Amino acid sequence: MGFLDSLLGKTKLPEAKTDKLFAISTAAVTLEASLGYRPDGAAAVCIKPMESSRYEAARREIEELLGMSIKETGTEYKLQKDEYNYLWVVLSDPDLDDLVNAVQMVSQILTEQGLGIQILAAVYRFRGEAVIYWIYNFKQGAYYPFVPQSGRQRDTAREFRLKALLQKEMPLEKDESRWYPMWGMPL
Amino acid sequence: MNRWKSDRGLEARMMLTMFLLAAVYLAFLAVLLSMGVNQIWVILFMGGFMFLQYFFSDKMILSSMGAKLVSESEEPRLHDLVRRLCQNADLPMPRIAVVRTSMPNAFATGRNQKNAVVAVTTGLLNRLNESEVEAVLAHELTHVKNRDMMVMTIATFLSSLAQMMVQWLPFMGMGGSDRDRDSGSSAALLLVVSLVVWIVSFILIRTLSRYREFAADRGAAIITGQPSNLISALTKISGFRVPTEDLRRVEGPVSALFITPALSGSALGNLFSTHPTLEARIDALQRIEMELEA
Repeated sequence: MGFLDSLLGKTKLPEAKTDKLFAISTAAVTLEASLGYRPDGAAAVCIKPMESSRYEAARREIEELLGMSIKETGTEYKLQKDEYNYLWVVLSDPDLDDLVNAVQMVSQILTEQGLGIQILAAVYRFRGEAVIYWIYNFKQGAYYPFVPQSGRQRDTAREFRLKALLQKEMPLEKDESRWYPMWGMPL
Repeated sequence: MNRWKSDRGLEARMMLTMFLLAAVYLAFLAVLLSMGVNQIWVILFMGGFMFLQYFFSDKMILSSMGAKLVSESEEPRLHDLVRRLCQNADLPMPRIAVVRTSMPNAFATGRNQKNAVVAVTTGLLNRLNESEVEAVLAHELTHVKNRDMMVMTIATFLSSLAQMMVQWLPFMGMGGSDRDRDSGSSAALLLVVSLVVWIVSFILIRTLSRYREFAADRGAAIITGQPSNLISALTKISGFRVPTEDLRRVEGPVSALFITPALSGSALGNLFSTHPTLEARIDALQRIEMELEA
């Protein structure tokens, strides 16, 4: 947001950047080869619901298309509101590429309806010596690691190790103050 | 491709107000300079003072409001709400403070986005539900995003100088001895000029402040995607509610107490207030809601 925008009190939210979304597929190879983390068959997209019939239409279209793609790829899905009233499209499929495609489809439908700014994040779960999550920030078009522990603690050491290993493989959020945790994710 | 259009009318009015304010200030400076350079030190002094005020605004305002910074473990849900809004608005996470008072209110302060503090009162947290609190937080975060602290500090700079001169000039340079005749009359002129600048800029600053509130309401609607939550939060904060009392119970002699005079102020009162009236804000938010459906 430029200086003139803030001078005039214009609130501009960044559009969803989906171009780097697919980087998770190549990163997954390195992740398994060097640290033994495997895709855990689960991903999700977090959406900020909106008071608009256009949003409702987009939500129905997402459900329709996901319903159709079940038959092709076997990707299962459910829609779920969390405790803060955000909508989660929770996807499960053993194949990571199918998950990435489904996430891409959801974000594309919302963007086409002009609701790109409502997409908060996409999350992929991996499992190895611990359960780790890769969160894709649509505003920045970058990934960051999230390793939650019990009692709203996060394993920061492990997150930094993941960063060190993968920063050449995928676009990572460089500003660690934007590694926002997401507690109570439905996956 | 974005559903949100910007409010050109509001932006134009804001631009005009800032332009007028700048014009008034430039004229004021021109008068000051034409009367001799010895006023420069006053401007420097005021500038230094305003800079300190701006730089330490977060600490000063927090202590004057009795606000206490709260950690993540003290207020986990509040942090979660703010964090997600920041994620959506692409803002760094501000610090969060709570004021212990039953008055429902909230404010934002701090010199820039990285040093921002968002504060809410316990009265607000008790009276509003979570999505209403979220809407209020989004309003405050928009103030941060729009750099309102900086804009308003700059806007009030020379106005404060004019105010100071109005208060001090009567005690300075009005000696009236022969030698001071000239400087006496120029001091009188300066007093009049300062007074005019002060009054005009005061009205312009308040106008600008109201426009920035509209802009923050709009931003809150955009960030949350739900204008109606802010509407219900505003009505609850201002003490006006959609009534829950049965009409038959309210009718009668007591009803005079319930009619809403507090809501509509006089036109003159509106000119001097920092915030728009509740009706105007609700109207604006409802227009945004209609835009969403268009």
